[in-house]
Amino acid sequence: MKQRLLKISIVALILSVAVVSEIQLGRIPEEDPLGRELLYLPSPEMLKIMSLGNPGLAADILYLWSIQYYSLFKPHERFLYLETIYNLITDLDPLYVDAYRIGALIMQIQTGGDQQELKGAVRRLFEKGLRNLPENWGLAEAAAWDFFIRFRDRETAIYFAEMAVRHPEAPARIKRMVGVWRDKASAWSLEDSIAYWRRAVEDAEDEWDRTMCMNQLYDAVAARDRERLEPLLKTFAGRYGFCPSSWEDVVRAGALREVPRDAFGDPYGIGTETCGLVAFKKFKDQ
Amino acid sequence: MRAVRAIAANTLREAIRDRILYLFVGFAVVMVVSTKLFGMLTVGDETKIVKDIGLASMQFFSMLIAVMMSMILISREVDNRTVFNILAKPVRRWQFILGKYLGLVSIVAANLILITVVLMLMVLIVAGELDFMLLFAGMMTMLEMLVLAAFATFFAVLTRPILGSLMTLAVFVVGHLSADLWLLTRQLPGALTRMVVAVVYYLLPNLERFNFRTAVVHDLPIPGAAVAWAFVYAGAFVTVVLYLANLRFVGKDLK
Repeated sequence: MKQRLLKISIVALILSVAVVSEIQLGRIPEEDPLGRELLYLPSPEMLKIMSLGNPGLAADILYLWSIQYYSLFKPHERFLYLETIYNLITDLDPLYVDAYRIGALIMQIQTGGDQQELKGAVRRLFEKGLRNLPENWGLAEAAAWDFFIRFRDRETAIYFAEMAVRHPEAPARIKRMVGVWRDKASAWSLEDSIAYWRRAVEDAEDEWDRTMCMNQLYDAVAARDRERLEPLLKTFAGRYGFCPSSWEDVVRAGALREVPRDAFGDPYGIGTETCGLVAFKKFKDQ
Repeated sequence: MRAVRAIAANTLREAIRDRILYLFVGFAVVMVVSTKLFGMLTVGDETKIVKDIGLASMQFFSMLIAVMMSMILISREVDNRTVFNILAKPVRRWQFILGKYLGLVSIVAANLILITVVLMLMVLIVAGELDFMLLFAGMMTMLEMLVLAAFATFFAVLTRPILGSLMTLAVFVVGHLSADLWLLTRQLPGALTRMVVAVVYYLLPNLERFNFRTAVVHDLPIPGAAVAWAFVYAGAFVTVVLYLANLRFVGKDLK
């Protein structure tokens, strides 16, 4: 009995050493481990061969990996290899609609780096998606809105919206939207966008469609709030000589009654580098 | 045919008694059930991930069972000398080979049916609807396994158990790469080299011909001719390889 107890104690002791080591290892900061690993990812052709007839599975693994990796970043940071990784995923599975949509979404969250280059990357990813999935009007509609709201690029937005409209199954709402965008350059306000997406959320046919519409609604609300709240930040910075570190500072200064919240009820942040509003989109939790 | 049926049934019975089979089947089922967890990690369509991982597990574990079972398929009978008892009865050698092959195929089929049912249930839970195309994907994987099992039987007769398993595994890997071999023929300079590579390509089974997983996952149209020719292709390979296995077994000194 004594001997058995001794053996169990030794095993427990060694195990606790392993646990302590793991905790200590976890505390050592790692510098962008995946970013470096991505450099050594094989080409899509090689990955296809290595998957032994399961390129869809290889695409899934990379997609899940990318979501976990990029969700660790803060919006102002420059995401590494975004275009490369989503090109790789969509080369492995060209019909992977989520990869185009979410890849473009992640790219848009990025506020650091060359924005023109980023816009080009988003456009290339959407165009690749629409080449491989020409019947997917939903993807074309999403692309149109991303360019309209995020990049304020009306011409590209109309280009994608017209692609969506050409599909016979596209809902009439897109046709109306294109008509307004095309005919009256300044007639469509952000409030119109919010109303449009609220209706789209209500009319969504399935959970995926609903999530995508919620995402667009979020962007429209954030764009409206940005227009309304950023002047307050500028006024604050002009008066006190520094950008507020949180919205509580703005509330304390009497410029706002309460901390502003996004479409999902989460508080906005402040980007100290740009002294602008930062929206932390967490639409997966909704 | 009674002798063939009896040998096949006995092979299946033996495999059921073998614990290693349960290990593989258990792993396969756990893998398919855990697809729900992978699905939860994604943003977007969970069903795609569940189907992709489920179908890949279906193929991988069926292949593992075929490879591992080929190790004990014939060598155990020879080592235990039970093969003499069987062949002393009015059982011809080709019947023995065919019985062993059908026994191995039944083991793989039982595993495939189980995994397909579990996968269909998982998809029902995630997507809320039964996807009968998964049955089709399972059937085409079975076709691939029929070819692989024929090679497993051939190598079990031809060589030692471990080497035979490695060679079956090699056929599986090469079978999925042979399409690239075909592409290589277009790049190569010289008509003779191209012809040699083309001959090698036709002699090896192109297991990608049975791969309809992407079409099933993305709900793409599947040409009937592709399915029909895949059946003919598998049938031809199985017949030739089993015939070669029989030729080798007939000429083999079992003492």
